[in-house]
Amino acid sequence: MGRSRVSNNFRPHFRPDGHFDSAAAHKPILVLENVMKVFRADAPVLRGVDLTIERGEFVFVTGPSGAGKSTLLKLIYKAETVDDGRILFCGRDIARLTEDSVPHLRRNIGVVFQDFRLVPYWTVFENVAVALQVMGLPPRVIRSRVAVALERVGLDGRGDEKVSVLSGGEQQRVTIARAIVTEPAVVLADEPTGNLDPVLALDILGLFEEINEGGTTVIFATHDRTLLEVSPRRLVVIDDGRCIEARAGLAGLGGVLDHGISIN
Amino acid sequence: MFERALKGLRQQLGTQMMSVATVALALFCMAGALLVLENAGAMVRRWGAPVKVTVFLAEGATVDQVDSLRRALAALPEVEEARYVSAAEARQSLGAGGDRTVATAPVELFPATIELRLVPSAVSAERVASVATRVRRIPMVAEVETYRGFTERLRGLLVGGRAAAGVIALGVLLCVFAVVSNTVRMSLAARLREIEVLRLVGATRSYIRGPFLIEGAMLGGAGALVAVILLGVVFAMVRVQYEVSLGAVLGLHPVFLPWTVLASLVLGGSMLGALGSAAALRRGLQS
Ligand SMILES: Nc1ncnc2c1ncn2[C@@H]1O[C@H](COP(=O)(O)OP(=O)(O)O)[C@@H](O)[C@H]1O
Ligand SMILES: [Mg+2]
Repeated sequence: MGRSRVSNNFRPHFRPDGHFDSAAAHKPILVLENVMKVFRADAPVLRGVDLTIERGEFVFVTGPSGAGKSTLLKLIYKAETVDDGRILFCGRDIARLTEDSVPHLRRNIGVVFQDFRLVPYWTVFENVAVALQVMGLPPRVIRSRVAVALERVGLDGRGDEKVSVLSGGEQQRVTIARAIVTEPAVVLADEPTGNLDPVLALDILGLFEEINEGGTTVIFATHDRTLLEVSPRRLVVIDDGRCIEARAGLAGLGGVLDHGISIN
Repeated sequence: MFERALKGLRQQLGTQMMSVATVALALFCMAGALLVLENAGAMVRRWGAPVKVTVFLAEGATVDQVDSLRRALAALPEVEEARYVSAAEARQSLGAGGDRTVATAPVELFPATIELRLVPSAVSAERVASVATRVRRIPMVAEVETYRGFTERLRGLLVGGRAAAGVIALGVLLCVFAVVSNTVRMSLAARLREIEVLRLVGATRSYIRGPFLIEGAMLGGAGALVAVILLGVVFAMVRVQYEVSLGAVLGLHPVFLPWTVLASLVLGGSMLGALGSAAALRRGLQS
């Protein structure tokens, strides 16, 4: 699979004044400090998450269903807002970003979901190109960059097909292409293999690992134990509203996962 | 942005056409009311100002008497011109329409008159009335016609017409707003997934809203344009009918709405459409 360039170039687009902060390049890409998120007062979802993720890392986030994995990712791409604490993206607090800056933040973050979130009546090309179109890039540039992204996910030459006729695995590849076509600093994946059979799940995991080898930071939320077992990566468990490092891998987790993690 | 709006319009072409037709019908009613009002206004301007007084002469007045009366009337400050119209001239001018019964009727049926043209700036209805009273006292004068009743009726009609047109306009504007707003809400609902994706990949608020605002403006503007064209066609047809019958007798020619009014209709239609769309977006794009 061809990879034409290393894509760890973070462009702090989310600063409306366009000022480039050179110090940002040396800071961890993501720092969560004492992050709280409460939907219902009697059952806070996140109660003081501390987490530091370095540039170029591949991190699994796991925990039982309902632990708050999706919530954590939503806070990072600002689909939800923290109730307390800070989220530093390249050293900048995005927890209280103004409404106008959110789109600029999102152009630096690729997101992949379990349920794909593609526009069914658009073609593969259109579904990927949209991420560049909102940035106002010229069509010629968009065409060539979409072609590169489709090639990276193994869909070269399939741009003209309607996504609604593709298989689940192929649809997920389209969303991955959409997530990486902007060469974002971070890719967030929220149970991206949840709708796929085990073999396809491993393929998709491999794809994310390749993306990570290109320099992109990947945060991969899953409760699929098989994936955690085959891939010896940094593992963060959300338990009782806090993040716990499981550096020793699954074995070091003890009983934390036993009540929630299913084995596909 | 425009391309994306057109793409959206094509997606629900049937609905959009229906909505343009509804907007057009509503605006047609309003523009029709305006057109009627415009012509009524022209009629009032033509007939309504007290610029003409007809003095009917008593039978048996001599030529000398009539002439001295005419000069005395012409000397009044309110009067610009006083012209003697003999019975024969009256018959001729009334028969000019081609009506043979008038042209061949006995000349005694037509009264001799002195037609007064008043100074337009100087005459209020009260002064015309006082002139009429003074002239009526002169023995040679049989009757003085100031056309006042007619004038007042016309003015009353015009005031009522304006009020009615105002009510129609208000209803029509509300209707256009509601129709466009509902149409845009439907196309919003049909494209929720698209909007979700746009948000996810970092589209700005204006990038997302723009095509819908354009869609609303195009619906309103297209509706107004269709209404104006329709009104033009109807007007042309009615005018042909009118010219051969009433037009010649009344000496009035129907006028179409001035182009400034037409342009404001189309512009206003698109602005109202954009407003309706903005309202739909306010309600539909929350979260
Ligand atoms: N928008 C919301 N409103 C209320 N409760 C929510 C909302 N989003 C998530 N939750 C709750 O927060 C908890 C964590 O959800 P989620 O982050 O989706 O868990 P996970 O992804 O780990 O399965 C759940 O109990 C869920 O019901
Ligand atoms: Mg989840």
